[in-house]
Amino acid sequence: MAAPLDVFPPSADATPDSVLGGVSGKAIEGRSLGQIAWMRLRREKVAMTGGIIIAVLIVVAIVGPFLVQNPDVYHADLINATFSRPNGAFGGISLAHPLGVEPLTGRDMLSRIVNGARYSLLIAVLATALSVCLGIFFGVISGFFGGWADSVIARSMDVFLAFPLLVFAIALIGVIPTKAFGLSGNSLRIALLVFVIGFFNWPYMGRIIRGQTLSLREREFVDAARSLGARGPYILTRELLPNLVAPILVYSTLLIPTNILFEAALSYLGVGLYPPTPTWGGMLSEAVSNGFYSVDPEFMLVPGLAIFIAVLAFNLFGDGLRDALDPKSR
Amino acid sequence: MITFIIRRLIATVFLLVVVSMITFAIFFLVPRLAGQNSYQLATQYVGRNPTPAAVHDVEAKLGFNDPFYVQYGRFLKAIVFGAHYNNGPSSTYCPPPCFGYSFRTSQPVWPQMMSDAPVTLSIAAGAAVLWLVGGVSIGVLSALRKGSVFDRFSMGTALAGVSLPIFFTGLIALELFSYKWPIFPNVQFVPLTQNPLLWARNLVLPWIVLAFLYAALYARLTRAGMLETMGEDYIRTARAKGLPERTVIVKHGLRAALTPIVTIFGMDLGLLLGGAILTEVTFSMQGLGNFTIQAINNQDLPEIMGVTLLAAFFIVIANLVVDVLYAVVDPRVRY
Amino acid sequence: MRERKRLGLAAFAAAGTLLLAACGGSSGSSGGTASQGTTATYGAAITGVVNPSTHKGGTLTFGDSSTPDSTDPGNTYYAFMWNFTRLYTMPLMTYKSCPGSCGLQVVPDLATAPGQVSADGLTWTYHIQPNVKYEDGTTVTSQDVKYAVERTYDRSVFPLGPSYFPLLLQDPTYPGPYKDKTAGKMGLTSVTTPDSTTVVFHLAKPFADFNYVVAIPQTAPVPQSKDTGANYQLHPMSTGPYKFQSYQLNKTLTMVPNTNWSAASDPNAKQLVNKIVVNMNVNANDIDNRLMANDLGVDMPGTGVQAAARAKILASPTLKQQADNPISGFLWFFYINSVVPPLNNVACRQAVEYAANKVNLQTAYGGPIAGGAIGSTVAPPTLLGYKSFDLYEATTQPTGDVTKAKAALTACGHPSGFSTNIAYRSDRPKEVAAATALQQALSQVGIKTQLHGYPASTYYGNFAGVPRYVHSHDLGLATGGWAPDWPDGYGFFQYLTAGNSISPAGNTNIGELNDPVVNGLLAKFGTTTDAATRNSYTAQIDMQVMKDAVMLPEVYAKSLLYRNPNLTNVYVQQYFGMYNYAVLGLK
Repeated sequence: MAAPLDVFPPSADATPDSVLGGVSGKAIEGRSLGQIAWMRLRREKVAMTGGIIIAVLIVVAIVGPFLVQNPDVYHADLINATFSRPNGAFGGISLAHPLGVEPLTGRDMLSRIVNGARYSLLIAVLATALSVCLGIFFGVISGFFGGWADSVIARSMDVFLAFPLLVFAIALIGVIPTKAFGLSGNSLRIALLVFVIGFFNWPYMGRIIRGQTLSLREREFVDAARSLGARGPYILTRELLPNLVAPILVYSTLLIPTNILFEAALSYLGVGLYPPTPTWGGMLSEAVSNGFYSVDPEFMLVPGLAIFIAVLAFNLFGDGLRDALDPKSR
Repeated sequence: MITFIIRRLIATVFLLVVVSMITFAIFFLVPRLAGQNSYQLATQYVGRNPTPAAVHDVEAKLGFNDPFYVQYGRFLKAIVFGAHYNNGPSSTYCPPPCFGYSFRTSQPVWPQMMSDAPVTLSIAAGAAVLWLVGGVSIGVLSALRKGSVFDRFSMGTALAGVSLPIFFTGLIALELFSYKWPIFPNVQFVPLTQNPLLWARNLVLPWIVLAFLYAALYARLTRAGMLETMGEDYIRTARAKGLPERTVIVKHGLRAALTPIVTIFGMDLGLLLGGAILTEVTFSMQGLGNFTIQAINNQDLPEIMGVTLLAAFFIVIANLVVDVLYAVVDPRVRY
Repeated sequence: MRERKRLGLAAFAAAGTLLLAACGGSSGSSGGTASQGTTATYGAAITGVVNPSTHKGGTLTFGDSSTPDSTDPGNTYYAFMWNFTRLYTMPLMTYKSCPGSCGLQVVPDLATAPGQVSADGLTWTYHIQPNVKYEDGTTVTSQDVKYAVERTYDRSVFPLGPSYFPLLLQDPTYPGPYKDKTAGKMGLTSVTTPDSTTVVFHLAKPFADFNYVVAIPQTAPVPQSKDTGANYQLHPMSTGPYKFQSYQLNKTLTMVPNTNWSAASDPNAKQLVNKIVVNMNVNANDIDNRLMANDLGVDMPGTGVQAAARAKILASPTLKQQADNPISGFLWFFYINSVVPPLNNVACRQAVEYAANKVNLQTAYGGPIAGGAIGSTVAPPTLLGYKSFDLYEATTQPTGDVTKAKAALTACGHPSGFSTNIAYRSDRPKEVAAATALQQALSQVGIKTQLHGYPASTYYGNFAGVPRYVHSHDLGLATGGWAPDWPDGYGFFQYLTAGNSISPAGNTNIGELNDPVVNGLLAKFGTTTDAATRNSYTAQIDMQVMKDAVMLPEVYAKSLLYRNPNLTNVYVQQYFGMYNYAVLGLK
């Protein structure tokens, strides 16, 4: 008869980890926040679908223009000049032109949508990046240091929020000529659009970051770090910022679709990129302004659906991300 | 509370001055930075092939030759004290707030804006009621029936609403319900005082389209807020006290969840009052939004300044009202 | 005078026989047997009067997709306003109200006869009808005509109208009546009024086309006591068949019959309806839909229906009978600048002319019906003195001639092409499409271009119309559209091609042509008293301009107009290129 104490290996501590480790043969590591979030995100099927669509869009935006035909080529033979509409049903769909052609010029819709994706996504992402950077910078300073810095920054956020943004964007872009600040043509326009959308939208991000910073500032780990002798910059970078990553990530993902819609609205109102460069909003605007949508509904539906799918995807993914990163929601 | 309101009103004035300065600077400085002189600017406001004397006349009348601070000072003075304008044989007095005279029609800007304002107000107010009531109710119901078919369907629709550009939905609505099946033919603005029934009927499409966009957002927000508050302890206490479920939901649950909704409602309504640009352009209603677009296209600086300041004013006042409402809705807030 | 009366009576008699038929509630075609009328078919209103009638009554509604520049006759430059103002004003002369090329003639309106010219061509005398009254019963005097011309000199109050009077008369520095210190404010010395029915204009140089100049609404009389300056547009004193009842700026204008108007003194207008309503800022597609549903009488801008309505109209035989496709008198074209290198060499410009694909350009403007016919000359066919010719195979090889283009490139020293820029108005989709089409066509012969869009409101004032800007930004090509202020060669070519028209801002001679042949011929317009000789210069100028290749004509604009079947007396007035608004009535 063996002694009961022989069942356990004599050298192991009586910790659950090692017990379990002993059973399965491998030590279990602690999971980081990111890994937990990723696991939860993976389980949200809807959000993952959004994520996949986003990935596809990004690939299309980067690689797509090289794979489709030239978006600027006229095909006068494919349209009926008298009626200004494409020959053939559904906006001229055919093997050569899977999404049809434009009514006034006969240009291939698929290639214009794909090229448009590049510009629409580029502008939206860059503008969001600008908003986020400004928002983090000012929000953290305002929330952390308080005092007069907070007052000044909070008041200027009020000023920016008080601007009727659409009015401003149209007016500003309309006033700047085609060559300025060392740039010209479309690169100037892209820079302007990014600037206007990003710069006037930073209070949105700034307010959220400021609120988060204000509440985090009072937490115990900040006190603890301070009592250990840590000073401002250290606390900012090592204690606060990592905790801000979650809301930054979530709200960035939710800001991108807003900016896509905003750029579409600006193109619709006539201050988008210069023709013949395609953008989704610009294509919608062309479809609407001359009433082509009555004669050729595809011309309006295709860019409209493109915008819809992109925005929906980002919203779904952002929602899922928020649910995954928020420990309270379940 | 009163001191809080007064302080905020003073801040509002200061804010509007800053907005006006930035707007003016943009329209004044940027063309000049781009190398355009005041002669070239003046040619925009003259007929085709003018004589140089004509352009100089217009230049002088519109004050383009004066330095920035003089032009801006004139503008500010007119708002506070009113101004006299020479309309030819006589001069008219434009009482404060005087936003100047349109460069194009030489008619005062303020009365023009006031005659366009009712259109924007009608659109904004009607849609706001719809989206608030609709969005919040759907949000509450979705939160209570979390996970059900209703919940998934309404949240899905809400997501769709947030993801579609309004000029797209508006056009499809017009195409289907106004042109193809004439349920709402002839969508044009009829003043409330003229014919209330027709006023309402012609506004139904813009209301629904606009409300659809915002209701989506509110439904999601309400649902998220309700889910959070309904899990709190005091809800459990309220139920334990034996209160009817409806009181629990509305008086205790919803009230606490309302704070973020009130914030956003204020901002959204304020923004909309300044001109629901996309809606008005899509449904071609002559409100402040269309006024803005036309002013920008005509480079009509007094009109642009007028409508920008009016829009900024609405936004700031809306924020003030929202902050005051916080105190009403949430007893923890004290000023 | 007799001539006119006889014509008037005959018309009345013919119309009278139709009166019963028309008012008898008959639907379908109008009485086709009368000599004046034509049955309502596609294009009938271009050559004849559709639904001639004297039936009175009804409310005529106009729809405008934007707003008039001004309703003040002294301050407007829009073609449709020059048409519309005849409903409430009578300038000294006007265009004869008749269909076909008859409508290009300028005939006396307030005046009793065309101007009497002195031997040196510097003095033009007009006698006005003695008993024309304003809406309040006061009689029109020649001083009122002088005052009307005087007030247009004050450009700070009236900036929008044309500038012909200061340009042509002897007293260009007159400051306008509001700054006029003379008694009675009659300080303009170049216009004199020896008695209350005579107006005398004193020109600085002979100008044989002066009758056309006084046909501009600026000569419509304005009583000094009722002049409210910038506010006059809200209620001008009417001398026409209708007067203002109410005007909400940018929204609605309502007019009612002017009881003090007499049909005998104004045969070019008619007073047939009880009310005229103009709705402004209405969506263009809305206008079309309401026109076709007979909810609206007239589309005021008169530039044609939108694409959706066009498809419906052309596809439906019944709707098509109510449509017309007139030439609107506009030319759409590209300016080819002659200063920016290498386009300063005429062969390089000719290469552009050969290389352009005119069919694609036509398609960009809306195809043969809504865009127009491919143009080979600068003068459109409705211009007096137009002759057809084709230097660059626009009609024989409309898709462009790559071989000849390349030959021209070699001739100018750039056999493999060159680079330049194309300017266009970014808020006009047709110009966008046209510029893109041109870019593509030019690239096929090696001419590489970049497109630059500018807003229409500042296009002439700040960008394409500023030679300094054009040179510094290399804008070799620029889109443009042009309709003449009056239908002869001077009215068309002076501001487009004369050397002395080049101005530092707001320039419309964007090609910067300074050709002594062209300049000389245009100057001769002033001194040649015989109209037929003057009109013969048009073709010569046209030929020279095309040889110089500073303009690339695209299309002679046409528009597809829809005629509401309830309208009477509908016909296209060729000078305006749209329906004559002064004579419309309702069934």
